[in-house]
Amino acid sequence: METVNQVEIKTGPLSVTPSSAQTESLIDQTTRPDCAVIALHHVTREYTGHGSIVRALSDASFSIVAGEWIAITGPSGSGKSTLVNLIGCLDRPTSGELKIDNIDVAQMTATELDRFRAAKIGFIFQQFHLIPYLSAIENVMLAQYFHSMTNEAEAKAALEKVGLGDRMHHLPSELSGGEQQRVCIARALINDPPILLADEPTGNLDAANQTIVADLLRDLHRQGHTIVMVTHDPEMAALAQRKIALSHGKVFCHPVGSPVVTLRR
Amino acid sequence: MKLSLTGMLRRSLIHRRTRSISALIAMTVSAGVATALLTLYADLDTKLHKEFRSFGANIVLTAPANASLPLGALARAQQIAGSDALAAEFAYAVATTDIGTPVVVAGTDLAAVKRLDSWWQVDAWPDRAAANAALLGQRAAQFIGNEHSVALTYAGRPVTLEGAGRIKTGGDEDSRIYMPLAAFTAWTGVKPGVIELQVPGGAPRVEAVMARLQKELPGVEVQPVRQLVEGESRIVDRTHALMFGAVLLIALTVAVSVLATLSASVLERRRDFALMKALGGSQGTLMGMFLLEALVLALAGVAAGFVVGSAAAWAISEANFHTATLPHLSVVPLVLLVNLAIAILAALLPLRVLRELQPAALLKGE
Repeated sequence: METVNQVEIKTGPLSVTPSSAQTESLIDQTTRPDCAVIALHHVTREYTGHGSIVRALSDASFSIVAGEWIAITGPSGSGKSTLVNLIGCLDRPTSGELKIDNIDVAQMTATELDRFRAAKIGFIFQQFHLIPYLSAIENVMLAQYFHSMTNEAEAKAALEKVGLGDRMHHLPSELSGGEQQRVCIARALINDPPILLADEPTGNLDAANQTIVADLLRDLHRQGHTIVMVTHDPEMAALAQRKIALSHGKVFCHPVGSPVVTLRR
Repeated sequence: MKLSLTGMLRRSLIHRRTRSISALIAMTVSAGVATALLTLYADLDTKLHKEFRSFGANIVLTAPANASLPLGALARAQQIAGSDALAAEFAYAVATTDIGTPVVVAGTDLAAVKRLDSWWQVDAWPDRAAANAALLGQRAAQFIGNEHSVALTYAGRPVTLEGAGRIKTGGDEDSRIYMPLAAFTAWTGVKPGVIELQVPGGAPRVEAVMARLQKELPGVEVQPVRQLVEGESRIVDRTHALMFGAVLLIALTVAVSVLATLSASVLERRRDFALMKALGGSQGTLMGMFLLEALVLALAGVAAGFVVGSAAAWAISEANFHTATLPHLSVVPLVLLVNLAIAILAALLPLRVLRELQPAALLKGE
């Protein structure tokens, strides 16, 4: 059985600059658009169905700088998933400008978006989504496979970083929920993406494993990773530096003092 | 350790072994049926023509009235018809039996007739060396006093023949007595006036041979045994059409089964595919992975189906034609084509499902 204290996050080749201290400084400078790793400018996403148009996200404008940890909150149907899909390059805006790492993804073709997503986004899912017939290390290598080339040593190092050095040849069915989520985190980190997109990362975990994953995310943030996290859990949201709240498709609140969220009611 | 496409494919097939096995069985059935039918089809002409050969002659050459065939007509006819054709010449005379009943006596090469008219029911063919042996038609035998020593008279010239056996055909032959041609000619002085010819290969060849016979044996009437030639051609054509129809029908049935299996395969793995999309797998890569799986199953199906189908063709042939049909490697390309077409056809709908997968919604569990 794993315990919170056994998990040790090691720094190494997966670290992303800048450091935590630099991040704090960068947040203060995010009025400069070129500092933003994610920038939305009047982004709207509409869906057409049954003869009507549903506006899932309305005129959203905000930026996230490199190394920031953002919590996206809001009730069901508020547009969280739409926003995460857009930031995760799984979808494109109907209108507006969406820049990831200073590149406008709204204009990309589907193929370009696939390549871009593999390079820029590391996904952490609530339900882990590991391929059941691949071992832990192979699941990590799968992200390398779609990105460039597989490298067993790097995959091994990624699993060791999340404390699963001794479980790398186990199938997902042989791992606990917490271990599966750590494999998912290792997979998200393996291509060294500038953005980690975590969708309810602790939603399916018990209290002990929630703590392990929260500690992992905290350490990753400390190492300089940009984390965009969707959560319903106030405790997890409290770990983030900033909170972007959504309601009825609109970004409607942000913490006082944050210069980067554009409030639109 | 490397993560390869083939490795993932192998693991995926093993992981979903029930689904994989059912798809493999469907593809094996399709390839097996196609192999069996195409193997039988390849041998069909030979086998059917062989069957038709047992019905006897399909061309009859007749000398003009009150005349005999020109010298060497049999050899010429045989040469024109080809070495695989069967021929026998006949000379006819009306003699009187020992009880005074007129009977038609035919002189012929009994060994050639045995091959040509293999459908005749003969209780004992005479020995080749027996110069005076006779075969008695079922009805003709009733007018013979002594069947073992058949005494006949033609134009006042008597002959005694050794009765070798009886013929039963249900036709004119039942009323005749057959004896060796040399003995017949020596006895009656009558020369052959009819040649019966059996040409294998169907209507086109029969017609070509007839045209040459008419050209090269002027004055000789060349007639087809119309029912046989046309019947053979019709049956062969209909059997071909029937087999094509059967292959098509079975292929379509199997395609539906494979379609269901592949669709289920995509549906049950749509989250895996959605994840691969989210990890940067392009539409082309994922479709390629899925198609590769379908093609691997199709190829494995061809290999297994060829063995099963060849065995089935052998058994069917043995049961119906009493001869074995050996495996035909020449059918493999067509079987492969049929199975690949089925796999691709069956993969079209699942590919569409795959193309329209929304990773975001699926990974969210919606």
